[in-house]
Amino acid sequence: MDKRFFNLFNLTEDQAIALLDTPQDQISEDDSRYIAASHLVNFPTEQAIAALIRAIQQTDPAMENRIVRRKSVETLGRLEAVQALPVIHSCLSDDDRYTVENAVWAIGEIGTHDPVILEDVAQLLHKPGQTYRVIIHTLAKLHYQPALERIRRFTDNADLPTASAAITTVCRFTRDYSQMDKVVGMLQNSNVLARRLSIQDLIDSQYYDAIPQIARCPVSLVFRLRGIRMLAESGVPVGAIPFTAIQPYLEQSLRDHPGDLDLVHTYDQPPTLPFLIQELYETDFGRCYLATKTILEHHAEAAPDALFATYAEEGKNDYGAHFHVMKLFGWLKHVPAYDLLIESLYNKQPQFQKSRAAAAIALAELGDPRAIPHLHACLDSKIWDLKYAALMALETFGDIGGYAKITHDDDWLIREKANTKLVTVH
Amino acid sequence: MKSVVTTVIAAADAAGRFPSTSDLESVQGSIQRAAARLEAAEKLGANLDRVAGEAYDACIKKYPYLNNPGEANSTDTFKAKCARDIKHYMRLIQYSLIVGGTGPLDEWGIAGQREVYRALSLPTAPYVEALSFARNRGCTPRDMSAQALTEYNALLDYAINSLS
Repeated sequence: MDKRFFNLFNLTEDQAIALLDTPQDQISEDDSRYIAASHLVNFPTEQAIAALIRAIQQTDPAMENRIVRRKSVETLGRLEAVQALPVIHSCLSDDDRYTVENAVWAIGEIGTHDPVILEDVAQLLHKPGQTYRVIIHTLAKLHYQPALERIRRFTDNADLPTASAAITTVCRFTRDYSQMDKVVGMLQNSNVLARRLSIQDLIDSQYYDAIPQIARCPVSLVFRLRGIRMLAESGVPVGAIPFTAIQPYLEQSLRDHPGDLDLVHTYDQPPTLPFLIQELYETDFGRCYLATKTILEHHAEAAPDALFATYAEEGKNDYGAHFHVMKLFGWLKHVPAYDLLIESLYNKQPQFQKSRAAAAIALAELGDPRAIPHLHACLDSKIWDLKYAALMALETFGDIGGYAKITHDDDWLIREKANTKLVTVH
Repeated sequence: MKSVVTTVIAAADAAGRFPSTSDLESVQGSIQRAAARLEAAEKLGANLDRVAGEAYDACIKKYPYLNNPGEANSTDTFKAKCARDIKHYMRLIQYSLIVGGTGPLDEWGIAGQREVYRALSLPTAPYVEALSFARNRGCTPRDMSAQALTEYNALLDYAINSLS
């Protein structure tokens, strides 16, 4: 599990429990029970779990308390607190749909074979206004086959991500893959959330055939890499798919050139450079990639100044634009950006993590050999995508000296990469 | 895009009937509140950067434990995440004010977003805290009329409730 952001609030366990136990009407203006409920995810202890259970038992319907209850349910799920199952089970009949959604999800995380709990989850498929996608996911995760026909009714649901979850689950339960093309089709939906969620369903169904399409899906590379990596993790060890069949798509995604994506947006008129620069701040990365592609095709000459200016103004604080600016300097082969890329390569702030691998790829595009020792230094990182991108970048420089160092790496994808290369070399 | 009007028409069409009196009353209610909503949308649009900026700045001041230096606890982490995403949610709130329904928030900000936050272990607390600050900070008549503020706050509550 990615825990980069878990320590955001830097409270001690006792402080968080005391906050959570404070009645809502006595909470000071400077404190938040919601934050306390989030923060206890860092403490898998009996007392933290007991405090979270007490918070769920505070049933004041005011929104301030309702959101604390929900978050407590979620945190107990993350802690896989089996002793919390009875209280979480009781939340399935809550009036608040998000409390129910979190309870269903938490049951999936904790895991259970209790047929009473599983049937109560399945019964929610008949209740109006619920988050059916999450209910279906949990039933699939816990292999509750008796819900199959009830889930099948959702395969034509008007809400595409719900339909996608249902199709995926029917496929998992019956091994009938005939409808999976509809899930693959969602990778090209105009809604970014639909695109991201379809990747999750393709992971869940172990649908390895979709790896090339996942690699071309216009969402952040974080989602593409997560999808390809998780499919590799399920498929390679059992021999369902060899690493070498995944490798080109993994590396295409790490390289992340907009020309390798099937973009879903288009401009109705030729955009100006200031407009395109502003598009790099979009939360839908599909739009950012279109802007990047258009900048490369039509504004390559004027772009560097505009990129430096936007970086100085707000891009340095915006983890999305920061990433795209790094990528663009690489594709533009803009040598004066070298120092900025080196700085980005070493930026340890967690929200800029993906900019580090982006900088490695961009430095290879610049082709300045001064970058080689810095790229070698990245091989000591624990961040797999940074390490992998550094290997790819070093390869561009014709430097394969790093491979011997990582043949016993902790990360199996890195080992696979090293092995393929060493086999080729020998 | 879901709004009061499209919901009423979709329901009537699904049943093959004309909109009922109560359907028309709900549309009428939405139209009566339109001026207040559009006032709120205009004021929010004109001050988007300031409103979003104040929300996250205030949060950092409000929670002293956010100020500690260090990688994952740093102020910058919190600021950068909030600044970007709060603006996004504010924009969706503005769209929802214009539409007269929660459709833009539902379709582009909430449906599926909760799943993504959970799957990637991303923190929702900064958004909830910053949006809560924005809700508590709104002041009439300084920022907008009382009716406009009511419409704006209702959507902020909706976003806080749905993201948490």
